[in-house]
Amino acid sequence: MYCIQTDGLTYSYSRQERILNGLNLKIPQGSIYGFLGPNGAGKTTTLRLILGLIRKQNGSVTIFGKPFEGNRIEILKRTGTLIESPSIYANLTAAENLKALQYIYQCPESRINDVLKMVGLHGTGNKMAGKFSLGMKQRLSIAMALLNNPELLILDEPTNGLDPNGIIEIRELLKKLNKEQGMTIVISSHLLGEVEKLVSDVGIIHNGSLLFQGTLQELKIKQENSAAICFETGDAGSTFSMFVENGITPLGSKDGKVLIPPVPKEKIAFLNRILNEASVDVYSISIQHNDLESIFINLIK
Amino acid sequence: MNFVNSLKSEWLKTRRSAASWLCLAGGLFMPFIFLTGLLVKHRTLNDYGITETAWKTFTLQQWELMSVLLLPLGIVLAGTLMTQVEYKNNTWKQLHTTPQTYSTIFFAKLAAIVFMTVLFFILFQLGIILSGFIPSLVFKKTLPGQPLPWRFFWNINRHMFIGCLPVIALQFLLSLQLKNFIIPVGIGIMMVIASVILVKTTAYAWLCPYTYTILFLSGDANKLAKVNLDLISTAYFILISIAAYVLYKSRKEKG
Repeated sequence: MYCIQTDGLTYSYSRQERILNGLNLKIPQGSIYGFLGPNGAGKTTTLRLILGLIRKQNGSVTIFGKPFEGNRIEILKRTGTLIESPSIYANLTAAENLKALQYIYQCPESRINDVLKMVGLHGTGNKMAGKFSLGMKQRLSIAMALLNNPELLILDEPTNGLDPNGIIEIRELLKKLNKEQGMTIVISSHLLGEVEKLVSDVGIIHNGSLLFQGTLQELKIKQENSAAICFETGDAGSTFSMFVENGITPLGSKDGKVLIPPVPKEKIAFLNRILNEASVDVYSISIQHNDLESIFINLIK
Repeated sequence: MNFVNSLKSEWLKTRRSAASWLCLAGGLFMPFIFLTGLLVKHRTLNDYGITETAWKTFTLQQWELMSVLLLPLGIVLAGTLMTQVEYKNNTWKQLHTTPQTYSTIFFAKLAAIVFMTVLFFILFQLGIILSGFIPSLVFKKTLPGQPLPWRFFWNINRHMFIGCLPVIALQFLLSLQLKNFIIPVGIGIMMVIASVILVKTTAYAWLCPYTYTILFLSGDANKLAKVNLDLISTAYFILISIAAYVLYKSRKEKG
């Protein structure tokens, strides 16, 4: 069951500039979905389209199994959002900002203090939100998104402006909400490393197209498959040819190093032996792992 | 109920806002000037000549100055500021992802501006009464001898308030459409100045919705004989509000 599903979502600001190319997002219920992509990839446009903030041109958006059009109010009652930069009223205190939303959501008034505590802003008292630091504003925005205790939480780059401690705190809070309440969380970021420790599912978007979508586990398998064995020898050219003669197609060679795909350890010993027999000096044999960040970068290259 | 909750939310947003300070200062400004004048000259309401109409004369004097520039300019500024709060704070996207229909959001916002205008009228009326009472209490050690003409107060406030409605609607429309605060304010100020000139130069000034507060008070009775300003003003308000809603609803980007 998907919490959010888009089919063929396409959007362009002008005829020349297409922002999204038939996006098919499938965000599983109860997942923490990392929506990744570099700046300008189309993440925010996608989220704004999903929430009806910009008018859909092509494709469809289904949330909680219902089309967004025609069910907007019902869907938004169950959704919390933070889109891009903080949206707060500078002339109000943190509690008043939440009160303005509480009137609309009609949730218990006690939720105001609860969410303020959750994001660590319960001590801000009468300080106007306009005087908050960027990190505090971001925390308040997260509190506003959590006020109605939503089933679906959409956070667009929520860690902007947060210090490392703040990032960890928010990450732990989101994990807890997901685990304890089964809250589906969509979190967009341009940094895989930032959400890697949090997400269960990943979608990678670049130039308006989805390059990868699946579980974090699937992305990690992709990572493992992209690992390589590196032979550092005295003659890279001969090493390369000898590997080919023995049925191994190297991935490439650079700076006296030859990279081959993962092979059983017996095969590594065999390759080492034939290099020794051909009097090619072997300085090192090592396994090179691509971290998730480099896979991400390779995908969007 | 949704509308009432939405209105409460909109009203809360005006707390400590420039619009609310403007309403407070604008409503009490003229009475404060008159009060200061009376205190400085050691005068009371009894010195206004005809005692039976002292309150009326006193009130009309304050309204004359208020109706030409201060009131329309205040409405232009406050109406624009209250609408622009969402642009200024980058909160349209937050507002439009709350579970409210677009009509609820629109009319709650419009209603908040109308309420702010009502508050301004109440403050101004209270200010007029206090500026009449205080000199008598200070110099004569007693209340003014003339009874307060409540019906007159009600009528003048009603006419003036109705006269403000089209300005509120127009400024609301402009502020919803234009992100830049300066443009709706600039247009509003230009229209206020134009309306002063129109009232002085043409019999058709009533066609311009910014002229009503002046026309209600100083309009030539002959020129206006065939025109029901309350009716036209209300019609303008309804039409402009509908136009503003259609434009708002059809906006491609809502935050």
